[in-house]
Amino acid sequence: MHPAFSVIFFTVSSGAGFGLFALLVLADLLGLGGGLSTEQKLTAGSLALFLVAAGLSSSVFHLANPKNAWRAFSRYKTSWLSREGVFAVVFFPFAMAYLGLTWLDMAQLKWLEVTVGVLAAVLAWITIFSTGMIYGCLKTIRQWNSPLVPANYLALGHFTGALLLLLVASRGAVDLNGYVTLTAGLLVAAAALKAIYYFWISTPGATSTIKTATGFTRGTVRLLDTGHTHGTFLTEEFGFKIARQYAIVLKVFVFVAGFVVPAVLLLTGKADGAALYAAVMLAVLGIVAERWLFFAEARHVVNLYHGAQHT
Amino acid sequence: MNAIVKIENHDNQEIKFTTCYMCACRCGIKVTLEENKVRFIQGNRNHPTNQGVLCAKGSAGIMKQYSAAKLRKPLMRKPGSERGAGEFVEIEWDQALDMLTERLSHIRATNPSKLAFFTGRDQMQALTGLWAQQFGTPNWAAHGGFCSVNMAAAGLYSIGFSFWEFGAPDWDYAKYFIMWGVAEDHSSNPIKIGLEKLKRHGGKFVSVNPVRTGYSAIADEWIPIKPGMDGLLALSVVHVLLSRELFDWEFLIRYTNSAWLVVDTPGQKGHGLFLRDEQGNPLIWDMEKSAFVNALAKDITPALFGDFVAPDGRPVRTVMTLTAERYLDERYAPENVAQECGVTAETITRMALEMAHVAFKETVELDIKWTDSWGREHDKVIGRPVAMYAMRGIAAHSNGFHACRAVHLIQIMLGALDGPGNFRARAPYPKPIPPHQLPENNIDIINAPNTPLSKTPLGFPMRPEDLVIDKQGNPLRIDKAYSWEIPIASHGLMHMVITNATNHDPYPIDTLLLFMANMAWNSTMNTKNVQDMLREKDPAQPDQHKIPFLVVVDAFHSEMVNFADLVLPDTTYLERYDTISLLDRPISEPDAAADAIRYPLLKADRDVRPWQEVLVELASRMKFPAFTQADGSRKFKDYPDFIVNYERAPGIGFLAGWRGKNGEKSLKGEPNPKQWEKYIENESFFAHHWPDNQKYNRFANKDYLDVAADVGFVGKSEPITMQIYSEPLQKFRLAGQGLYDGPQPTNPVDRERLATYFDPLPMWYKPLEQQRVDEHEYPFFALTQRPMLMYHSWDSQNVWLRQILAQNYMYMNRGQAERMNLKDFDWIWVESHNGKIRCQMRTMEGTQENTVWTWNAIGKQGGAWGLKPEASEAKNGFLLNHLISELLPAKKGERRITNSDPVTGQAAWFDLRVKITKAAEGETGSWPEFPAIKPLPWDDGERPDTLRYSSRPEDNK
Amino acid sequence: MRLGLVIDLDVCVGCHACAIACKEWNASGTTAPLTDYQPYGAQPSGVWFNRIRSYEVGDYPNNKTINFPMSCMHCEDADCVTVCPTGASYKRAEDGIVLVDQTKCMGCNYCSWACPYGARELDRESGTMKKCTLCVDRIYDTFMPVEERQPACVLTCPAHARMFGDMDDANSAVSVVIRERGGYQLMPELGYNPTNHYLPVRKAVPIATENLGKQGFKDRLKGIVNKVVKR
Repeated sequence: MHPAFSVIFFTVSSGAGFGLFALLVLADLLGLGGGLSTEQKLTAGSLALFLVAAGLSSSVFHLANPKNAWRAFSRYKTSWLSREGVFAVVFFPFAMAYLGLTWLDMAQLKWLEVTVGVLAAVLAWITIFSTGMIYGCLKTIRQWNSPLVPANYLALGHFTGALLLLLVASRGAVDLNGYVTLTAGLLVAAAALKAIYYFWISTPGATSTIKTATGFTRGTVRLLDTGHTHGTFLTEEFGFKIARQYAIVLKVFVFVAGFVVPAVLLLTGKADGAALYAAVMLAVLGIVAERWLFFAEARHVVNLYHGAQHT
Repeated sequence: MNAIVKIENHDNQEIKFTTCYMCACRCGIKVTLEENKVRFIQGNRNHPTNQGVLCAKGSAGIMKQYSAAKLRKPLMRKPGSERGAGEFVEIEWDQALDMLTERLSHIRATNPSKLAFFTGRDQMQALTGLWAQQFGTPNWAAHGGFCSVNMAAAGLYSIGFSFWEFGAPDWDYAKYFIMWGVAEDHSSNPIKIGLEKLKRHGGKFVSVNPVRTGYSAIADEWIPIKPGMDGLLALSVVHVLLSRELFDWEFLIRYTNSAWLVVDTPGQKGHGLFLRDEQGNPLIWDMEKSAFVNALAKDITPALFGDFVAPDGRPVRTVMTLTAERYLDERYAPENVAQECGVTAETITRMALEMAHVAFKETVELDIKWTDSWGREHDKVIGRPVAMYAMRGIAAHSNGFHACRAVHLIQIMLGALDGPGNFRARAPYPKPIPPHQLPENNIDIINAPNTPLSKTPLGFPMRPEDLVIDKQGNPLRIDKAYSWEIPIASHGLMHMVITNATNHDPYPIDTLLLFMANMAWNSTMNTKNVQDMLREKDPAQPDQHKIPFLVVVDAFHSEMVNFADLVLPDTTYLERYDTISLLDRPISEPDAAADAIRYPLLKADRDVRPWQEVLVELASRMKFPAFTQADGSRKFKDYPDFIVNYERAPGIGFLAGWRGKNGEKSLKGEPNPKQWEKYIENESFFAHHWPDNQKYNRFANKDYLDVAADVGFVGKSEPITMQIYSEPLQKFRLAGQGLYDGPQPTNPVDRERLATYFDPLPMWYKPLEQQRVDEHEYPFFALTQRPMLMYHSWDSQNVWLRQILAQNYMYMNRGQAERMNLKDFDWIWVESHNGKIRCQMRTMEGTQENTVWTWNAIGKQGGAWGLKPEASEAKNGFLLNHLISELLPAKKGERRITNSDPVTGQAAWFDLRVKITKAAEGETGSWPEFPAIKPLPWDDGERPDTLRYSSRPEDNK
Repeated sequence: MRLGLVIDLDVCVGCHACAIACKEWNASGTTAPLTDYQPYGAQPSGVWFNRIRSYEVGDYPNNKTINFPMSCMHCEDADCVTVCPTGASYKRAEDGIVLVDQTKCMGCNYCSWACPYGARELDRESGTMKKCTLCVDRIYDTFMPVEERQPACVLTCPAHARMFGDMDDANSAVSVVIRERGGYQLMPELGYNPTNHYLPVRKAVPIATENLGKQGFKDRLKGIVNKVVKR
């Protein structure tokens, strides 16, 4: 699949935003590390909303006809893309209310704050899950059509969110151990899920081939002509192909930048400014690479008609 | 979910019927127009040619109509600019016509041969030929010499009709169909309709072709033959049939010259000619009368085989005896030709036996009463349902004439001609063998000023006396057609015109007039050198070119336009009147004689004129007799008037339908002033459906031949005897051997060619170029074909078609490529004895291992055809033409000889052999490179980045 | 009703007539125009609903070339419709035709991702997804002659390799030919239940070549007794 920048940015950014927000609510509820200050909560919450909003607006750039974007909320009964939009939008009032109530910090409204916070967190989870399911539900793309995909999205969103939360937490007087542990735990979960995912997509199993695509079951089937000399919408959208070696290098980078170095920095360093910033930066780069690969390695079955022997 | 979809508004739509122009099929089309834009072009269901279907080219007609390459106004080469620099000034039509009339009038009044008029994929040869004849120049031909003359000539000298336009397989009853080397652009819709019918009925389709694409894709059996070996394969099939006595005795005796007696006196004058009586009738040995009798008489009992002694003591043998002896020779045994053909002996034998089985054991019998030419009534029509079709793969070789005759020999042996299920004639064919039409060769008439030729420039020589040469034996035509070098060049040699005119060989010309012939690019051999020849100045007159004046008539901005001194812009096919005439290249089907018209559906939005109109105008201005009244006034107002009122013979004109004063007569009748209206009312075509008793065996079908004679298809109603043994060829051979009572060549090269290649029986020889190049150095055969979706070179300007095919590749067999360490999309050098090109390759299974091939005419010169200079056709597309020489490789002590079939002059562009090497790292893009052609005066060279064509009014606001 | 196409691979010669007829009809059809990009430039491309691919099956010399036209399969379980967030993609209940409402499409490409058959192409100029309409604006156009109320591709196919009809009707020509010729669906494993079917290549019946003629004619020729044929 063609790795479109807008979609990579959108999923990484909004994933981190939703993850951050959900973890913020959890940390707040549990009073992790002694509890974040109101200022920290507002900072983390605003950052989360900004990431989500930036991601969502980026996704609109991906549209060829954005004037109809509003219609995307109409088919939530069947479409995960519609659901993602609906839940993302529904998330906002709850998230804003939570932040508003946090800012007001009125004890008598604490129950409300907790309620809307938990609701916002649940909506964030559902939204990330929906994002994952946008890809996960496609039978046309073997590398996506798996529960591992929403699981990955959830894990990676929460891991990047946790890093950001840790970053915010480090700018105050809270005990960071809990945050580090949370981040480390999510890091391990995300890395493990990603490793499982990479292992899983490396073996095609019984999937569509050029033979099932054409119905020619005898002998080798080879493409002679695509019926067009230059690219078409199909080749541009689905024709992207990444060299195996390049993919391996990138996967190493995903793990090193995304997981290994941040882990080392988190566990050895004192989560102080420079190391933490470095960890966040590297992790984001790693996850962007992960997302790019997520698209680049996805092979749509339409490629079978363009000569691929299997996906 | 339910949703109402709006049906389009037809209020402003009009439906009109006309005829497609995108290939020589000339299908009927139904055109929907919406506010003077084309909404839809579809096939006409009632039309005999396409029965409602339409190919890609036809449907893409919209994008031809709205091409960016349309010429808009007459152009003159800018004074002071170099020819080929592409600098033009716009001029008015009056100025253009005055200039041309003056020049042509001068030529006509001094030396008419100094005008050479050649046309490309011309669909109006009856008019252009008449015009040339009236002008008085012998130098006229269309592109047949490039394309199909081997098929036409072989057919017309053997069976009286031929592959391509003069015959068609009988798809309704065929049970076995062999297609020999048919390029994909040929007989587009009829063959597709037919193949489906054949397969639906359970018939077997065998394709003999080095390449498996297009039609061959759906063949039940593919025989990947080596190029140029078809004749040998066919003769091996003949060997198998003969060796088991699998031939149709009755057919051979009744309808062919196989029982005719041939004088057998080697080394003497008269050897190899038919034994004839005093009236000149050929003789047979009558077994009942035990006497030599007239072979054409009724109630005879000819001996098919035998050696006899003529009353004058000369030994004679039947044609069939000669045939059997020739092809029973072990030379033609399957195991002895397998290696050369690249086809196993088992396959050849099986192929022959399958044909024989279907012909003799699965015979079709129709309960149709018919009468033969000798007056005998038959109550059944017998069909041997083995159908064949053959085209370019046979035609474009220098041994193609004989190869095609060899294929006809199989048909004759099986009795599989013009019967149910086999290969049937299309009116006005069959004709006498060869047709009684000789080329003008009276030098006094040819040289006479202001005098039409007494005959057409093209025809069918019967003997050396019919050649178009002077007393010294020099050619009288610029292309040397009908000279000792090329005696039976019945379509001329368009591919030699520029070379010969540049070399002033046999003489210089003044004006070359080209209509729709892209001879500066893909419709020529040796393109790069031909461009140089067009630019070449005459050292004797340095202000003048070797070809002093070049007039190009075309509708589109071709590479050829770029070299013109004068450009006359033509209309598109939807903007003009046209006729598809029975006097020309007919669109008849086996069951119906047919012709058709075009008429203007759209008004031209440019200052252009139909070439037909311009021809009539020029003819009238120059007062050609056929276009001028006795009082010297103009005879025809315009082209439509000419079509209605011109009669070639009383009652016979360009259009056969709705003749007679009130349109009540068909095929023959006095002119009908309302004829165009009748055609338009009747969907722009006319079909005369043959009654059942006139549908088959028309070479000897009395009722059919009576009609054919009456309407001028044939001279008189008499049987047409198929000529296995061709006496005209033998006469030329005798001339080459110095044994002919009449003109004989003096040049040893000519003598040797005649003696070798004018075999009266079908023969096979290694293609001429291949006799002269080292096969080890040039190990590959190299071919080109047009794809199904393109025919004319102009198809690349079509923005829809070019999306499908905008770059050609050199295709090679995958296994072969692997052995050479070549792979898909490698850039390679392809080199012949004539030059080299760089191109990109691809591999495929369906290519014979010793063959490479590519799509023809995809490569374009940058800036031509309305495309941007960076178009992939120009940057990555390529022409194979650069590799193909119009001359055979030089041989010591020999003048340069045309690279053509030595019998017919068919350009031998499939004889090419090449070597292939991988290009160095970084060597990409096609080579040779050509500079981009400059935009024409009205064109700023800008092209939009998107095109959003629609005829809907709401999309055009 | 379940309308769709049957493609006969045994007779398709790959001529692209259907693709062009489709382009031509739809250039001015319900989703008109269909944009062409770089129409005169280096890399021409454009929006098409019907594309013809060619494959080779088997190795030389036992290879077979198969031409393979593809357009929307009008699937029974059309994921392109279920995934569409705007409701622009829909499947008509009355005849099963899958369409895109151009006024609703936001151009997210998601439906094209869900389509295994490459049937949907985005028009970058209009920003909307376009696809085969099964010529819904022809087949119900009562102003047209009855025999022309067919998709443009079917109408034009020179080899009659395309058939149009109702797969729900067991007696329709398309249902009969699918049964008789073993018509199949593409990528059945994905479960889209495409309406369009493909007819496989026919197997030619062997032709008997035994007991034909008498061998040794060369030897018989010397003293041959001619058959008596009157003419």
